[in-house]
Amino acid sequence: MPHLEPQQRAMAINKLLSLLTRFPFLCFSKMKGSDNQEKLVYQIIEDAGNKGIWSRDIRFKSNLPLTEINKILKNLESKKLIKAVKSVAASKKKVYMLYNLQPDRSVTGGAWYSDQDFESEFVEVLNQQCFKFLQSKVDLSMDDIETILNTLIYDGKVEMTIIAAKEGTVGSVDGQMKLYRGVNSVIQPTGLVRTPCGLCPVFDDCHEGGEISPSNCIYMMEWLDF
Amino acid sequence: MTAQELRLCGLLLREHFGEVVAKVATHLLRSGAQNLRTIIHETGISLDLVKKSLCVLVQHGACVFSSGRKGPGSPTEYRTSCDQILRILRYPRYIYSAKTLYGDTGELIIEELLQRGDMTMSSTVKTVADRLTQNMEEGRSMEYSEVSSTFSNLVETHFLQRCPPMGGAGKKDSATPAAPAAPTPGAGAAPVSTDQPTPESFPDCYKVPHVTLIGRGKRQLSSEDGEDQRNAKKAKMDTETHGDEGIYWQVNFERFHLHFRDQAIISAVANKLDQTSSEIVRTMLRMSEVTTSPTATCTKPLSANEIFRSLPSNYNIPRPILDQYLTLLVDDPMEFVGKAGESGGGMYVVNLHRALANLARATLESVVQERFGSRSARIFRLLLRKRHLEQKQVEDFAMVPAKEAKDMLYTLLSENLVQLQEIPKTPDYAPSRTFYLYTVNQLPTARMLLQNCYKTVANLIERRLFETKESKRLLEKSQRIEAILASLQASGAEPEQLTEVEEMITAPEKQQLEALRLHINKLDSAENQVDETIFLLESYVKSTTAA
Repeated sequence: MPHLEPQQRAMAINKLLSLLTRFPFLCFSKMKGSDNQEKLVYQIIEDAGNKGIWSRDIRFKSNLPLTEINKILKNLESKKLIKAVKSVAASKKKVYMLYNLQPDRSVTGGAWYSDQDFESEFVEVLNQQCFKFLQSKVDLSMDDIETILNTLIYDGKVEMTIIAAKEGTVGSVDGQMKLYRGVNSVIQPTGLVRTPCGLCPVFDDCHEGGEISPSNCIYMMEWLDF
Repeated sequence: MTAQELRLCGLLLREHFGEVVAKVATHLLRSGAQNLRTIIHETGISLDLVKKSLCVLVQHGACVFSSGRKGPGSPTEYRTSCDQILRILRYPRYIYSAKTLYGDTGELIIEELLQRGDMTMSSTVKTVADRLTQNMEEGRSMEYSEVSSTFSNLVETHFLQRCPPMGGAGKKDSATPAAPAAPTPGAGAAPVSTDQPTPESFPDCYKVPHVTLIGRGKRQLSSEDGEDQRNAKKAKMDTETHGDEGIYWQVNFERFHLHFRDQAIISAVANKLDQTSSEIVRTMLRMSEVTTSPTATCTKPLSANEIFRSLPSNYNIPRPILDQYLTLLVDDPMEFVGKAGESGGGMYVVNLHRALANLARATLESVVQERFGSRSARIFRLLLRKRHLEQKQVEDFAMVPAKEAKDMLYTLLSENLVQLQEIPKTPDYAPSRTFYLYTVNQLPTARMLLQNCYKTVANLIERRLFETKESKRLLEKSQRIEAILASLQASGAEPEQLTEVEEMITAPEKQQLEALRLHINKLDSAENQVDETIFLLESYVKSTTAA
């Protein structure tokens, strides 16, 4: 670059260096140590985006032998270009994705999984808390905890209505808003379950004159003396 | 007619009518319509007893007779249906409803009619007046006219109806006209029609006859049995006519059922929303009592103006608030009330069938919750809402870990509360290429639970009989002692003699008797509670078949 001033030259070089730190894969000097195979594998992993890709799929796509693949993956991992994330769907599977990407919800299971274990306690606690919260308020719209609220609906403790809402109001999606409120059950526990027979585990085996019968039923005896 | 229903009918019949009638009736239930000769031959019971049993059954409406299959000349055939017999379980509830609506008088009228099957108005009034007088203080007695007016009220609101007259007016060998105190439709008369007309098909069904009944109830003195028998005989030969011979009245069970159904809907609204909403629904149902047919899907449309005018006076809610409440009821996901138009300030209906379906669904959910836990109940409700779901989807929606979800689903599947639907991707139904979807069908599940209810009630009755049988000796002893005490008191004995007799029952025996009494009461009330469930499920199943 003979026609440039030294200062401009310095500026240009600095700019290029900054580009290097921000976009390392743009700079082929870093990749000079690796060969084309690594570039290929890297490209495949990049294409998988934030869902990641399984090592076997990398093998199919690149047609490289398994040993080569493993070596390359180890290399890339040590260079901090890719990372391995354990999938929640199949606990032994590892998917690879670019180092600085956030793994997709389908891989990690979202907020409800921590270290690949279903956080049932967490779910239970949130379940109770949301229910208590909703019992004290009348109408409220929630968006992020919708799945938890749905479980409360299936518990019969909460019901949901959809109302038309203007675009721009808090919580509205596509001109609609979901409202939740706590409800009571429609009936008291029904008569059948207040008897021992309604809850009996051996109900079908009970006959008069058999080994299990109303006359010698131990559950009835305990219930009568209660 | 299932095995469970048959077992329950047998137990109920034996308790209410005795061994012989039970045997005849269960035989008829099992084998369908039969004539007299066949019944005698197959049950081995004597002609006389069979005749009497059939009389009792016909009297109570449990048995109907019609001309034989081979034509008008063949012997009459008798047929029982278990519906009427299963209603015996609900008698306490009928009597209690009558008590809440019409007081003690109403209660006794219904009780007498349920016991006797059918009676004329005059004999009912007299008997009830006598019973009421018995419980009143000395010197007071019950006027016949009071009882008559309660009787007329019951007829006006359709709780009582006339028995359909037996045909065969042209037959020469028809039974002699029945005396007022011993009504027995002729067991030998063959009516002309083959299928039974409903009571409603007769125009005078709810017409109160003009009866000349003047007098007061007679107090029965606590004399010895001999005089009681003489009084009873005298009543039978009483030829005093009151103008209503031959007009027999029976309890209109369907009307009571509609009343129970309304009660269930009102209490469901009260549970779900609040007291005022339930009052509004009660007003709407009361206005539609006589205009809605029993099998209607929803009541006739009522305008908001009419509802406002008919609200009870102590519920002083202003008109706009009423409109808000009605809108709230309409918007509720349970859909108890629906809007049918805009005239008159808004036309509203009560969705009867939908309310019954919702109540049945709540019953099913309640059973699953109590039996298997709240997470299984969550899965059950999820499947009721979303119809068909795969295993994975169930886990996701219900937020239950995979292993537990699988376990719960398989338990529910083994109890037949949940069904599996296979959808093949390939024609060869290979398991790896088939979708397996879990689903819940409300109607078959409700039917299955209904059968479980019948079995449960039969179990409770059998346990009660067993407990009584176990303590039979003790019960007999206590009865004897009570009889001795009563006779000693009547003949004026001294206190020492009384205490001596009382001490013949030892303290542990007293405890045992007390425990027995508690057990029997508990079993009895449990029977009534299960009957409530039976009523809801039966109404739901019937409403789907009618639709």
